[in-house]
Amino acid sequence: MARLQKLHDVPAWIRWPVYALLGIFLLTVVQSITGTERLTQVSTSREMLRWAVPIFLAGLGGLFSERAGVVNIGLEGMLILGMWFGAWGSIEYGAWWGLVIGMAGGGLGGLLHAIATVTFQVDHIISGVAINILAPAITRYLSDEIWASPTTSPRTTSVGDWDVPFLAGGTIFGWESPDVLLDIGKAEWWFVSDVADLIRGLLRGTHWVAIIAILLVPATTWLVWRTRFGLRLRIAGENPQAGEAQGINIIRYKYVAVVISGALAGLGGAFISTELSGLFQGGNSAGRGFIGLAALIFGNWRPGGVLAGALLFGYVFGLDLKDLDGTASHALLLVNTVVLGAVLLWAVKRRRTTDAVLAGILGSGAFIWWLSADAVPSWWSNILPYVLVLLVLVFFSQRLRAPAKLGEPYRKGS
Amino acid sequence: MSAVIELTGITKRFPGVIANDNVNLVVERGEIHAICGENGAGKSTLMKILYGMQQADEGTMKVDGEVVAFNSPTDAIDAGIGMVHQHFMLADQLTVLENVVLGAEPVRAGGAINFKEAKAHLSAVGADYGLTIDPDDMVETLEVGERQRVEIIKVLYRGAQILILDEPTAVLVPQEVEALFENMRELKAGGATILFIDHKLDEVLEISDSITILRQGKTVASMKNDGVTASDLAELMVGSELPSPETAESTVTDHVALSLRDVTVVDDDDRSVVENINLTIHKGEILGIAGVEGNGQAELVDAIIGTASVSKGVVELLGTDITSMSVRKRRESGIAYVPEDRHREGLMLEAPLWENAALGHQTQKPYGSRWFMNRAGTRAQTELIREQFDVRTPNVDVSAHALSGGNQQKLIIGRELTSAPSLLLAAHPTRGIDVGAQAAVWEQIRNARKAGLATLLISADLDELIGLSDTIVVMLRGRMVARLSPSEVTPRDLGAYMTGAATQDTSSPDTSSPDTSSPDTAGR
Repeated sequence: MARLQKLHDVPAWIRWPVYALLGIFLLTVVQSITGTERLTQVSTSREMLRWAVPIFLAGLGGLFSERAGVVNIGLEGMLILGMWFGAWGSIEYGAWWGLVIGMAGGGLGGLLHAIATVTFQVDHIISGVAINILAPAITRYLSDEIWASPTTSPRTTSVGDWDVPFLAGGTIFGWESPDVLLDIGKAEWWFVSDVADLIRGLLRGTHWVAIIAILLVPATTWLVWRTRFGLRLRIAGENPQAGEAQGINIIRYKYVAVVISGALAGLGGAFISTELSGLFQGGNSAGRGFIGLAALIFGNWRPGGVLAGALLFGYVFGLDLKDLDGTASHALLLVNTVVLGAVLLWAVKRRRTTDAVLAGILGSGAFIWWLSADAVPSWWSNILPYVLVLLVLVFFSQRLRAPAKLGEPYRKGS
Repeated sequence: MSAVIELTGITKRFPGVIANDNVNLVVERGEIHAICGENGAGKSTLMKILYGMQQADEGTMKVDGEVVAFNSPTDAIDAGIGMVHQHFMLADQLTVLENVVLGAEPVRAGGAINFKEAKAHLSAVGADYGLTIDPDDMVETLEVGERQRVEIIKVLYRGAQILILDEPTAVLVPQEVEALFENMRELKAGGATILFIDHKLDEVLEISDSITILRQGKTVASMKNDGVTASDLAELMVGSELPSPETAESTVTDHVALSLRDVTVVDDDDRSVVENINLTIHKGEILGIAGVEGNGQAELVDAIIGTASVSKGVVELLGTDITSMSVRKRRESGIAYVPEDRHREGLMLEAPLWENAALGHQTQKPYGSRWFMNRAGTRAQTELIREQFDVRTPNVDVSAHALSGGNQQKLIIGRELTSAPSLLLAAHPTRGIDVGAQAAVWEQIRNARKAGLATLLISADLDELIGLSDTIVVMLRGRMVARLSPSEVTPRDLGAYMTGAATQDTSSPDTSSPDTSSPDTAGR
């Protein structure tokens, strides 16, 4: 316990990389046992990031909304609006404007959600679901009107990507810098090369939007936890009456928060259409707004946690994308077994019998499945993020802290 | 000394009630001024008017000699008045500092809060008034007394010189009350003026310089705390009307229906809200519990019916230990329950009367069995209740909210008493109903008593308690502080015990020995 406490005193910028290295180590070990190579390939971490960015942006949007006390299950709809408006803006005004207009489109969805939930006290879930139903319909209609095709748009333009110099062979003023990580990766040193490959996937061909997204982690932390705006936004979710008693216009903060929420989800959507697909296509959101909400809960309503959740879920999806025979996802079962084993030990140490038994059953289940099959069906990796969230909720719900008044209707002067 | 607050002729009407009726209040600078009165006497309304949360219909307010009109708490804060509410306005997951600066944050350019400056200001305020607290603590980790200190600091941080404390001791345990009083003395020494609401007279006499007493919305007295006794105050607070004569003969028997031994109930913060209660109710006996609300009566009832768990002690019904029985089992073994809030706990307002009649008895005949409801039986039984208990309704299919409060209450009493119970828990059975219905409810309870029912009666209406009960016990801060015979007690005495002005030795383990409640002595 004392040791655990000490671990918490370690600054986050050391702690998180250590966790990441531990994770990679586990992957490397499993890879050695199972013989697959995809778990630590360059393309895997590259796909992970591409999947993670929209998930993270949606989740971060959820953070703003939910910190202000408004449940935002409409993130998926706002992300879809962002997809369409991003594509439209990109075609009409150019790539960067596409992102801005995509944010505006998502923000519009947020505004709708705010009007419904804050002003008219509609149940947050109902309003969110309505937006999720509305958004695909509206975008379909708009596509048909403007592009004469209900499902797809013309090609969009992209703001592009960037190779990091020295580490991943980026060019500086026309000079091609060395690609250090490529060399390490090729050297085939156990574990070290795996780490190099995974990092190189993040640093080569990195989308500008991904870089913006990463920078949003410290920016959000500063805005929400260090500024007056952030404190007042949080009081709207923790105890709005207390804020009101100090003369704070809670309604205004809720509105602003939910609109920001929609705008961030919209940016995620614009990223999907303009940067990943290169066009708007209905259904391309692939539920990433919902998974963003899952990342928000997984990440305990904190920016760093949301990023971690988004990367984890992005990894599962990204791995599945290149894993046509299902063997890499199959290897993940062994990872699950090990992680659940660790949970089992943790639960035993804490004398939490129910948790220990449950972790034991699930862990052995994963192990038996791993032993008895050579591959897993693709639906497995589609549901895995939700399974992970359920597991986190089951085992660690006592450590998760949602805003105290999340989802509760607020009336001024009551 | 000069008057820092002067309220003259304050009148505030709500639909159907006059909360404040021509109230006058003068508070001197630098004093601790107590406002006393029973529940519903209009104390809180008066303080809300002074703090700008509500506006008076008539009357003038002067602060520092100048006439003021507050439209919102912000106006009051600007005039140097701050209020600490009884229910804390704190966010548990924020730090002390964040809670304190909220709404008055010192910011740097760019909107970042200058936490350093805020911390310095906070500790300066704390030092001025002798209040210490760690600004980086999460509020959720604080004790109730510390949270209250945060609330006080929050008010001082905004420069308030006049503090209104709304029943500050209601949420505290005795040691915390001591600490609060220490803080209040420090505040006074620092130059603050304190107005506080309390109805525990021992506390009032200990801490206040002046006392103003309200009764039924009117100022009945205002005095210096100088040679005043608690019983004087109690008399002023509750009035001295005589109890309505009660002529029923005693029906108390020797058979014990309910017995509580050393029962303790703790709240979420692990503090005792009911402490070591010992009592016995015999068949045919009505035991009345007197006490200012919030002194553990509600929790005691919860412990008996099973909605709160007993942390220590034993509850026995007819000699059977029911301490760990489920509510369902307890109900089936004969506990009838008239809850305090009939709308929240007694009825389903949207459901028809016949469904409401089955509530709490749905597994018993004639309402139903373990799995199924018996519609016909339930309706027939509801008709029976309607007839016997004079529930005035066109039919049993109307929804419960269509009935007047009195008829709703008669329905509840009816369903409880027709279930042939051995114990009735009646919490404020006549609250908020008209005189006619009140008399009917009393009559039904008396009849049931004659038939051998044991009753635990909780009421804020002291005349009702004295009139109906065979024995009265007084609860204060979760403890039983007195056991009295209704034939010898006046509302004034009761008031004194309820507020802590008078005390009685109740240290013997079970004070309800047959000597005090046997037919010979309890008969009137």
